[in-house]
Amino acid sequence: MDLQIKNLLKTFDGFVALDRITLNVEEREFVCLLGPSGCGKTTLLRIIAGLMPYDAGELLMGGRDLGAIPARDRGFGIVFQSYSLFPNMTVAQNIGYGLKIRKAPRDRIAARVGELLDLIKLPKVADRYPWQLSGGQQQRVALARALAVDPSLILLDEPLSALDARVRADLRTEIRDVQRRLGIPTIMVTHDQEEALTLADKVVCMNHGLIEQVGTPQDLYLRPRTRFVADFMGSSNLLPTAWVRETMPHLMPGRPDGAESAFEACVRPERIAVTPAPDAEGRVIDLTFLGNIRRLRLSWRGRELLAETNRDPGVEPGAAVDVSVAADACAWVRA
Amino acid sequence: MTAPSLTLTDKARPRRASRPLDERLLFGACVLVPVVALVLFFLLPLATIVWRSFTEEAGGIGVANYLALFRTPGILRATGNSLLVGTATTAVCLVLGFAVAYAAQRTRVSGKRFVAAALSLPLLAPSLVLGLGLIFLLGRNGLVSNLLGIRLNIYGFPGLLIANVLYALPQAVLIIQAALRQSDARYYDAAEVMGATRLQQFLGITLPNVRFGLLSAGFVVFTVTITDFGNAVTIGGDFSVLATEIYNQVTGQMKFGIGAAVGILLLLPTGIAVYIERVAAQRQFGTASESALPPVPDRLPMRDIPLFLVTMTLALSITAVVATVVFASVVRLWPYRLDFTTKHYSITLSGGYDPLWTSLGVSAATAGIGTVLLFALVLGLRRMPPGLAKAVYLLAVLPVGVPGLVLGLSYIFAFNLAGTPLHMLYGTALLLALCNFYHYHTQGFLTMVTGMRAVPAALEEAAGCLGGGVLRVLGDVVVPVMIPTLLSVFFFLFMRSMVTLSAIIFLVSPSTNLAAVTVMRLDEAGFVSQAAAFSTCIMAAVAAAALAMRGALALAGRRKAA
Repeated sequence: MDLQIKNLLKTFDGFVALDRITLNVEEREFVCLLGPSGCGKTTLLRIIAGLMPYDAGELLMGGRDLGAIPARDRGFGIVFQSYSLFPNMTVAQNIGYGLKIRKAPRDRIAARVGELLDLIKLPKVADRYPWQLSGGQQQRVALARALAVDPSLILLDEPLSALDARVRADLRTEIRDVQRRLGIPTIMVTHDQEEALTLADKVVCMNHGLIEQVGTPQDLYLRPRTRFVADFMGSSNLLPTAWVRETMPHLMPGRPDGAESAFEACVRPERIAVTPAPDAEGRVIDLTFLGNIRRLRLSWRGRELLAETNRDPGVEPGAAVDVSVAADACAWVRA
Repeated sequence: MTAPSLTLTDKARPRRASRPLDERLLFGACVLVPVVALVLFFLLPLATIVWRSFTEEAGGIGVANYLALFRTPGILRATGNSLLVGTATTAVCLVLGFAVAYAAQRTRVSGKRFVAAALSLPLLAPSLVLGLGLIFLLGRNGLVSNLLGIRLNIYGFPGLLIANVLYALPQAVLIIQAALRQSDARYYDAAEVMGATRLQQFLGITLPNVRFGLLSAGFVVFTVTITDFGNAVTIGGDFSVLATEIYNQVTGQMKFGIGAAVGILLLLPTGIAVYIERVAAQRQFGTASESALPPVPDRLPMRDIPLFLVTMTLALSITAVVATVVFASVVRLWPYRLDFTTKHYSITLSGGYDPLWTSLGVSAATAGIGTVLLFALVLGLRRMPPGLAKAVYLLAVLPVGVPGLVLGLSYIFAFNLAGTPLHMLYGTALLLALCNFYHYHTQGFLTMVTGMRAVPAALEEAAGCLGGGVLRVLGDVVVPVMIPTLLSVFFFLFMRSMVTLSAIIFLVSPSTNLAAVTVMRLDEAGFVSQAAAFSTCIMAAVAAAALAMRGALALAGRRKAA
């Protein structure tokens, strides 16, 4: 089943939290709502879950209007950042809670719980209490609990934010695998662009209650359409039109028509080629070693540029370097 | 000895820069004095009462005192009555306490502040004031009997039950409310999305998660009820209970062995209550998450209207009972001649208002000694090795498990021994002050520990590194941060000491009579209006102390902000 959101409006005491959002989530699709805190992504998720009312617009699941259906009858699954396992229930009771509510027979609940514990690779924790598990384990159980009732949609509210870097990476892969295998449409809220890039089929980049851009991870990274997206998805050099016309005229053909200040060129640091040359005009300001890459701050033709390379460029701060950008390395974004 | 082994020992024991001698002496004394006092005025009496309970009248050691309990018909009946009234009070308090706590914590029922204020009234007064007020309202010569022209009989089980419920309810509410506060809105969001109805959420999440709170509240109410003295004396009538029976056995018939045995048995329920609280604290430690969002109170007419009616009725009843006492103290002959008079305020019992002044003095001493000792203890505890600190901590929280009645009894056994150096304390106001302090030691200690947590260790270290001596650091860093806590502990000890009856009833002498005891004596002697007047004076003093505390806290807060 697919989810359609049309012109969804939500205000809090006059403050517009969601400004007529329109968005489709296809069957089997993994969608990430990405944005800084306060952009409205969690509000949107809570509205979809039915935990919060909305002011205007439409919310359709497989063509059926969700507006009048309370959260408890929507049949979705939800996972929160804070795990939120019921502290008074064992792992098995937590996972089986939704089925118990639906008055499933006891042996079916037990079978389903066993199946899900295998799925999340924690077959032996059924009788433990949440406080006896690590954060990563608790979050897996929370995922199993959400999956237990065969939800038609899974909602994930920053599920990985509270975990250590290592556990986060592992669980990220696992969530992706499980979602692929079960084919349940999933919406995840995150403020971590790397998470969105690695997990999503479709990334929805939000800012101030508006959708800035919707697209595949590649789209958003390689072809950002707005300055906000370019800035939020990784680092970039944002260059004004006049300067580009003067210094890199070969980038100009790709520029859409529009006023001088309407567009800026976005050049990713790794697309700036740096070669040492004794009498070149570029200067290295400083150099940071980050393990897999090296990051250089350059001064070139009156601007400061950020470049990244995965080889040793063989330069020291103060060295003279030549700077070049390929014609296809630039995306023009709305300023 | 070879060189390598030397380096090994060096490595195994990382060296710490040793503290200056004066600092070590100061913090050593900080711990030593309160701990010695705890041993002398808490552990020693407790050990004595245990010892006396096994000392037979003939002089041998054995369980004869315990066996004698079964052969003393008064004790058996009183035990049965105590269990009956204790269980009934507990059941009623749990149901009503949960309703009040739930209304306050999870709903937007109106009038919450009034209910909270009304519930704090019983804490301002000696327990028997509630009994007194009930008699004025529902007694044979009470307002209701008079208006309806019938003769209600409130004395005995029904009166005691109502008085105990009104007295213990605030304590139950506090515990249950604290348990209800420990939750996360996400539990309910998750359950909602999973399809649970409100009722299912309540039964599946809310209730199970406060079960330790309910259990703990239940034991506290039960203990308070079976060891409370004031209400049993005022309104109990012929319905004899353990607390009054023990008093009669010890002070009336001088059967100390039996008194000691009953005292030991009374330790059981509180022991269980304390144990449950510890288990609950550990469980909650596992579930408390820093990112937990408190559940948002909401409106639901079907639930809120009955809740509103119940909580309001309770709050109004408590207010009415306490207000009646005050009102009855200023009318000529309650409830027949309601013209204003102050004649009941001239106390005819010997000593007049002396006990009130003694009470104020004893309470000030309790608060002063207590605050200083607790502050020193908590201060020293910080710098002790963890193992030892844990042992001292355990000792410091132990007094909460000993009902006042048992503590008072144990003081008789420990200090009424001619020929021991401690005997000279017996019958003095100082001993009363100490008894009150150790009666409420745990609550004061825990408040102090919480307050001390607000003093970051780094702050002290920073001040120390800047070259401040210990006393400078204390005066400039620790005390300013701790002032609100010190004030709270001081006034808490003062107010409790003003109203408590159960411990000191065994220790007062004609020269050191206390206010709460005087109310009881006046009531016993039939001077009910004077008892009401004297109660009103106590309540006024305690209310003034409460106001003074608020004022002082506000002042301290303002100075901090400035």
